[in-house]
Amino acid sequence: MREAVLTWCVPLELLCSHPLPVSAFLKTQVKLYTYRACAGKDEMGKMVSVINTVDTSHEDMIHDAQMDYYGTRLATCSSDRSVKIFDVRNGGQILIADLRGHEGPVWQVAWAHPMYGNILASCSYDRKVIIWREENGTWEKSHEHAGHDSSVNSVCWAPHDYGLILACGSSDGAISLLTYTGEGQWEVKKINNAHTIGCNAVSWAPAVVPGSLVDQPSGQKPNYIKKFASGGCDNLIKLWKEEEDGQWKEEQKLEAHSDWVRDVAWAPSIGLPTSTIASCSQDGRVFIWTCDDASGNTWSPKLLHKFNDVVWHVSWSITANILAVSGGDNKVTLWKESVDGQWVCISDVNKGQGSMSASVTEGQQNEQ
Amino acid sequence: GKERTTSGEGRERKAGPAALGLVRRTDRVVSGSHLAPLLGLTDPGFSDCPDLKMSRVTTALGGSVLTGRTMHCHLDAPANAISVCRDAAQVVVAGRSIFKIYAIEEEQFVEKLNLRVGRKPSLNLSCADVVWHQMDENLLATAATNGVVVTWNLGRPSRNKQDQLFTEHKRTVNKVCFHPTEAHVLLSGSQDGFMKCFDLRRKDSVSTFSGEATEAGQGTPREWVMTGCCVLRLHPSFAHGFLWRLYVAAPWGTLPSGCSKGAPRQSESVRDVQFSIRDYFTFASTFENGNVQLWDIRRPDRCERMFTAHNGPVFCCDWHPEDRGWLATGGRDKMVKVWDMTTHRAKEMHCVQTIASVARVKWRPECRHHLATCSMMVDHNIYVWDVRRPFVPAAMFEEHRDVTTGIAWRHPHDPSFLLSGSKDSSLCQHLFRDASQPVERANPEGLCYGLFGDLAFAAKESLVAAESGRKPYTGDRRHPIFFKRKLDPAEPFAGLASSALSVFETEPGGGAMRWFVDTAERYALAGRPLAELCDHNAKVARELGRNQVAQTWTMLRTIYCSPGLLPTANLSHSMGKGGSCGLQLMNSFNLKDMAPGLGSETRLDRSKGDARSDTVLLDSSATLITNEDNEETEGSDVPADYLLGDVEGEDDELYLLDPEHTHPEEPECVLLQEAFPLRHEIVDTPPGPEHLQDKADSPHVSGSEADVASLAPVDSSFSLLSVSHALYDSRLPPDFFSVLVRDMLHFYAEQGDVQMAVSVLIVLGERVRKDIDEQTQEHWYTSYIDLLQRFRLWNVSNEVVKLSTSRAVSCLNQASTTLHVNCSHCKRPMSSRGWVCDRCHRCASMCAVCHHVVKGLFVWCQGCSHGGHLQHIMKWLEGSSHCPAGCGHLCEYS
Repeated sequence: MREAVLTWCVPLELLCSHPLPVSAFLKTQVKLYTYRACAGKDEMGKMVSVINTVDTSHEDMIHDAQMDYYGTRLATCSSDRSVKIFDVRNGGQILIADLRGHEGPVWQVAWAHPMYGNILASCSYDRKVIIWREENGTWEKSHEHAGHDSSVNSVCWAPHDYGLILACGSSDGAISLLTYTGEGQWEVKKINNAHTIGCNAVSWAPAVVPGSLVDQPSGQKPNYIKKFASGGCDNLIKLWKEEEDGQWKEEQKLEAHSDWVRDVAWAPSIGLPTSTIASCSQDGRVFIWTCDDASGNTWSPKLLHKFNDVVWHVSWSITANILAVSGGDNKVTLWKESVDGQWVCISDVNKGQGSMSASVTEGQQNEQ
Repeated sequence: GKERTTSGEGRERKAGPAALGLVRRTDRVVSGSHLAPLLGLTDPGFSDCPDLKMSRVTTALGGSVLTGRTMHCHLDAPANAISVCRDAAQVVVAGRSIFKIYAIEEEQFVEKLNLRVGRKPSLNLSCADVVWHQMDENLLATAATNGVVVTWNLGRPSRNKQDQLFTEHKRTVNKVCFHPTEAHVLLSGSQDGFMKCFDLRRKDSVSTFSGEATEAGQGTPREWVMTGCCVLRLHPSFAHGFLWRLYVAAPWGTLPSGCSKGAPRQSESVRDVQFSIRDYFTFASTFENGNVQLWDIRRPDRCERMFTAHNGPVFCCDWHPEDRGWLATGGRDKMVKVWDMTTHRAKEMHCVQTIASVARVKWRPECRHHLATCSMMVDHNIYVWDVRRPFVPAAMFEEHRDVTTGIAWRHPHDPSFLLSGSKDSSLCQHLFRDASQPVERANPEGLCYGLFGDLAFAAKESLVAAESGRKPYTGDRRHPIFFKRKLDPAEPFAGLASSALSVFETEPGGGAMRWFVDTAERYALAGRPLAELCDHNAKVARELGRNQVAQTWTMLRTIYCSPGLLPTANLSHSMGKGGSCGLQLMNSFNLKDMAPGLGSETRLDRSKGDARSDTVLLDSSATLITNEDNEETEGSDVPADYLLGDVEGEDDELYLLDPEHTHPEEPECVLLQEAFPLRHEIVDTPPGPEHLQDKADSPHVSGSEADVASLAPVDSSFSLLSVSHALYDSRLPPDFFSVLVRDMLHFYAEQGDVQMAVSVLIVLGERVRKDIDEQTQEHWYTSYIDLLQRFRLWNVSNEVVKLSTSRAVSCLNQASTTLHVNCSHCKRPMSSRGWVCDRCHRCASMCAVCHHVVKGLFVWCQGCSHGGHLQHIMKWLEGSSHCPAGCGHLCEYS
């Protein structure tokens, strides 16, 4: 089958004329094949530079990949129960750690802010959340949270300004918040029944302080309003806010999706005057929610696009002006808000603006 | 049937004992019901042939289709085990205090028979296991916790259906198992470490197998186990009346080896026994020590094979219904392993990692790679696994509220109905299509934006494969490829699912951040005159291909560094230069390129209007320009225009009509200072745009450039600028633009380019700061500093903090630095009160020259350890090479 496929590869001279090291492509058939897919129609060149394929050697599907704060390390997690950390500096890929400890598929990983050290949280089907910490170059399990009755689907660290706080969303419908209280102790708060059937995603709002910072007496910790968004199997996105007494309260219920919400991503607030949340769902739709008013009560959805398949992930660029969306058709598209406030795909063929990640290989067909 | 049996005696001797068994079984079955047509097919000689076997069952079922729904019924007591009748319409539930048969109807379970009779329920009825014969609808066996094995005959007319009682085991019997094709053969496995084989026509067991038996020597001619070839050839002695009886009398006979040796060692408990479906004489047994043994029913002296399958007890095993020799075992180590027993050594084929210890395992009918498991600890759910996806269950049944104790597929050829009993006293029928499917739920893709705009994307490979049929892209050539991926070709993945993980590098438009680092490192923010800073930064931006930003810097320079003090000629000249520079840049632009990155409140398709305004402008007077200017501002989409974007009409007029309102608040000296570099700049102009420079000097020429559509807006704005300046003798103060600049900064910030906002803020300093509210500024500063720190640009970040005017920001540098001071004499930490040590009452770190405390940099000689203020020591050593402390050491300062 491979041979047959190779016959309609691009002429080799095209491959060779490319600035990238050709050997890298010719080394294996699949790479060559992939190359064809890209080179087939479009001019290769200018915009494609170093690409890094990470050989994860995971034994099963990878469910999440997260880069750390400095963009130098990549953590992956897989059904094979392992979490792996790679050093991806300068296009390299060195396996730094292979973390074993979960007893089920690991769904998500999240890096904590480096001011707390090298800390990684992972959540799994085994109903556990594990917080890993690097000490003297070795990664060890530092805490295990087993407070959920079902698979834990999502973990997300709060902005570093709040301290070390982790939000975990589970299939049991609850969201738990772990706060580090020092000396290896974690305080747990639980929002029961946050989403009926289950919570699929959590995402923290960037740290915003009510009122002016200027009036803050220096040295005193500013009084942050902690908020996060969650998406669940009840097709809802919910916004949660910490009350003054430390309890979490549902602040908003955003309703627009017609199927499970798969991911929510609160945009980083780099120079943005508004709060923005991206959400994607099993129904194939991606919504951008914005809130302009200061009180944070009116959120308006804008349909970014309706895809033909499940949309699994949304991810904001660092400066929050580009949204990456990955759908069940195995494609990543990048979206940017245009002049007139419409979201346009800046990497989709249909819009006539460019080609996408032409991703082709011969994976094994699912026999099922 | 009887007569046929006797008359055919001679023939059957030749045919083998199995045939005899068959006939006997037939007796029973015929009385039962409709199994007569199967006669002849059940010969064990044929039992290796899947087709025949299958057809037999299908016939038995009459091809009827099972129907039903997910349902459950409440039992009176917790269940320990369940077993399904071969008609797939009845299920027996057994437990410590329950033993009932339920009919499975379309909508519900209906209690059919309670087998616990009598006023005083005996311990014999406390069932650990129950099994329904798969050949005979009337035959059941139970294993009691007191070690008794009981058989039940539903055909008995009396209320008590108890048939036989075997009290041979000393401890709980964990498992009973009927021979799949032999009517009278029952096997039991007990906690006491023995397995016993019973012939239901006899009062006691026919053979006993000890878990301690040694493995048969390698190479003994036992190939029949593997190949299943003709039985006759191997064992002619089988021709005797009943096959098992032979061994009762055999010398190495019935006694378990442990007992015969007189060493009553405690055997390992037997957790499960299962007859092989394919090999007539073979059964497997599992033990608490993690071993699995394979036995030939005729050789109680030794097991055929023994291997350690699990770490810890092996609770269960199940032979694959179709694949000969595949045995699944489940253990406390939370694993299900699939072994291929046909090879010389048992080979581990698959290993499923479940979440809790595995108490039961059952292959799913008609699905070669599926098996169901349940746990008796912690986990209440039933899982169905695809052994090739060993980490994620294919399906999950979550109905039970307590541990599931028994599972059974309703029909050996129907994969969709699963029955289960649980400690929560309920009996459930699960429909596969109602199961929750974690595999489906599992997110097959991972996506993450990295710091540098690179995108890590992990995707399931079979998904990728599905994509290969896609038609090739016909992309716009201007944006050839956004990013692409290479896939890991390395190893053929063993499992069904695997993912490819790629890190894509995006182009700048796609969020790549390389420019950010470069810009941050190269920008000049202070220490030079404004004009120079602007020029420098414009140059940096240009070199990085960020023309819009470069343009902005040039404009800023124009706005803030074109002082009224300069002679008009000079000014317009410099303006022209600026303009030409802009033009030059814009040439490389494409309107479309810019469009998405620009203007929030501006609108598209203004180029026409712009062009029009331009032509008007060419021949018009100053008033006209003003009007046009206003109109222009309504909306266009190029940075130059944007700068003019929000000028309010009134403001405009106001300035124009008020000749007094000219001078900026900035002190003159600043302008003076800037005057010189401005001139200098002209010399610096690159030779390229010279021709344009001349043209741009006059609005007329620049107007003519407007023919080129894409240049039009730029042109117009520039001509506007220069004209206004020229006409009003550069009386237009920078204040005039402050609104524009403010909006521009907001615009950049909104675009995510907080760097630009902050840089401009710092460079312009007081000129704009008052126009932007403190909080916004602070937000920009903190965002920018945060970004810089993410990119590990500590120096730049520090500089920004230093240059920032916001108090909250500038105090960042003073936070989190702790100074620990120890006394230089007694080495103890000093109190924060002063520089005198509490303990030794001496001043710390005195300068050897001036004899005062050194509170900053302390330099000391490594030879004599005397030292002091850097300046003092340096000065001292210039004059003398001896230590200032007078210790006589020859100090050297290097």
